[in-house]
Amino acid sequence: MTLKNANQTQLRFKARDPVLVLDMDKAGHVRTPFYVRRKIGEVIDFRGYFLNPEELSIGNTAGPAVALYRVRFMMKDLWPNYNLDRTDVLCIEVYDHWLAPIANDEARP
Amino acid sequence: MRGYHDIGGDESGPIPMAEQPWQHWEKQTEAVRNLLGDSTRRVLSLDELRLGFESFGIDKYTKYSFYRRRLEAMIDSLEKKGFFTRVEIEQELEDIRARWVDPDSCKKA
Amino acid sequence: MNPTQRPHEHTHSHEHDHEHAPQAVEDGQSDVDGQQLVDALQAVLIKKGILSAGEVTLEIQNLESPGTHLGAKLVARAWLDPEFRSKLLRNGKDAAAELKIKVGEAQLVVVENTATVHNLIVCTLCSCYPRSILGQPPSWYVSKAYRARAVREPAAVLAEFGLDVAADVQISVHDSNADMRFLVLPQRPANTDGLSEESLTKLVTRDCMIGVSKALDIPMNFTR
Repeated sequence: MTLKNANQTQLRFKARDPVLVLDMDKAGHVRTPFYVRRKIGEVIDFRGYFLNPEELSIGNTAGPAVALYRVRFMMKDLWPNYNLDRTDVLCIEVYDHWLAPIANDEARP
Repeated sequence: MRGYHDIGGDESGPIPMAEQPWQHWEKQTEAVRNLLGDSTRRVLSLDELRLGFESFGIDKYTKYSFYRRRLEAMIDSLEKKGFFTRVEIEQELEDIRARWVDPDSCKKA
Repeated sequence: MNPTQRPHEHTHSHEHDHEHAPQAVEDGQSDVDGQQLVDALQAVLIKKGILSAGEVTLEIQNLESPGTHLGAKLVARAWLDPEFRSKLLRNGKDAAAELKIKVGEAQLVVVENTATVHNLIVCTLCSCYPRSILGQPPSWYVSKAYRARAVREPAAVLAEFGLDVAADVQISVHDSNADMRFLVLPQRPANTDGLSEESLTKLVTRDCMIGVSKALDIPMNFTR
């Protein structure tokens, strides 16, 4: 359900932007797993607008739709003691309201 | 609060490789859920189902198999919405159990 | 594990032609319980006029029909046709539609294995999987162990499946947590030039499209 004519200048993020995943204290059905919260990754791409599963899970189907991004993390940034000989990555979908921008010079802690 | 289903990164043992056949009742459970969520009914969405088994409590969640969790979550959710009562389900179950024939007893007859 | 007879009478009102032959099941009682409970639910829903038995039967058939063969067709075509491969990587759902394969999920993202990247798919939160083209996921895919460990120690997980991935190959793990569904486009096995698309599909397993193995090598006696 990508809006092909979506005005991409209205999107908060674009490919390669560094982003922080927020750790919001939200009860109910959320699709942002704990293991990526408070972690910094890089936007891969914008995947389209979707209805928010947090709302859908309680029967609210009226919207608004939320921008969905794919974000990439270095495994070594997610897990302590990850094998540093490896360059493995984790890619995951994150809804717009779970992301905060990071200035480029803050990107690597 | 982290849901008990949110297990990415948790310690866990070896992966159980033995493949379990897809049982008829499991297919039937999925079929019923799909129909309930279709555009002619919109009675139960996937996100509502997920909220259902994410809210069971850890005991019920760990006690039941994957498909049984979905079946239980469906029943809980539909009951909450007022489609039927647990009593009606129990009564139907009683009838079904009364009619259920174990094949061993047939062999002896 | 004791073979357990399935009850030979089911009280559903719809017809189905699964066999009632004895099957070895891990726990026959929980299957009986499950069958009775879903029958009860279905009966109540029918009484309330929400469902009909015939449509449940039809939907079961719909669920049974997709299988690895659909994904394998996408892979084999991509191996043979570079233009199709590009389309598949750009938009899996659109590309599948060209082959008259309907992807039921919101989007299909096809990720390509190369000499330097190996992809692995998981859903840590539940069991999201491209069911409309691969059918049901294997039980290990929905197991706690796979869901917990694939995102934490993918190399070790792959080793359990018998696949060693060198340290200079990047493992890219995709957690299918929202609206995308993923399919791995495995590398084309060596010595397969000249094989037909149909022959190539035989080398494509479910597991290599999830990412826990590579596509099959051609067997010695493979007829071209």
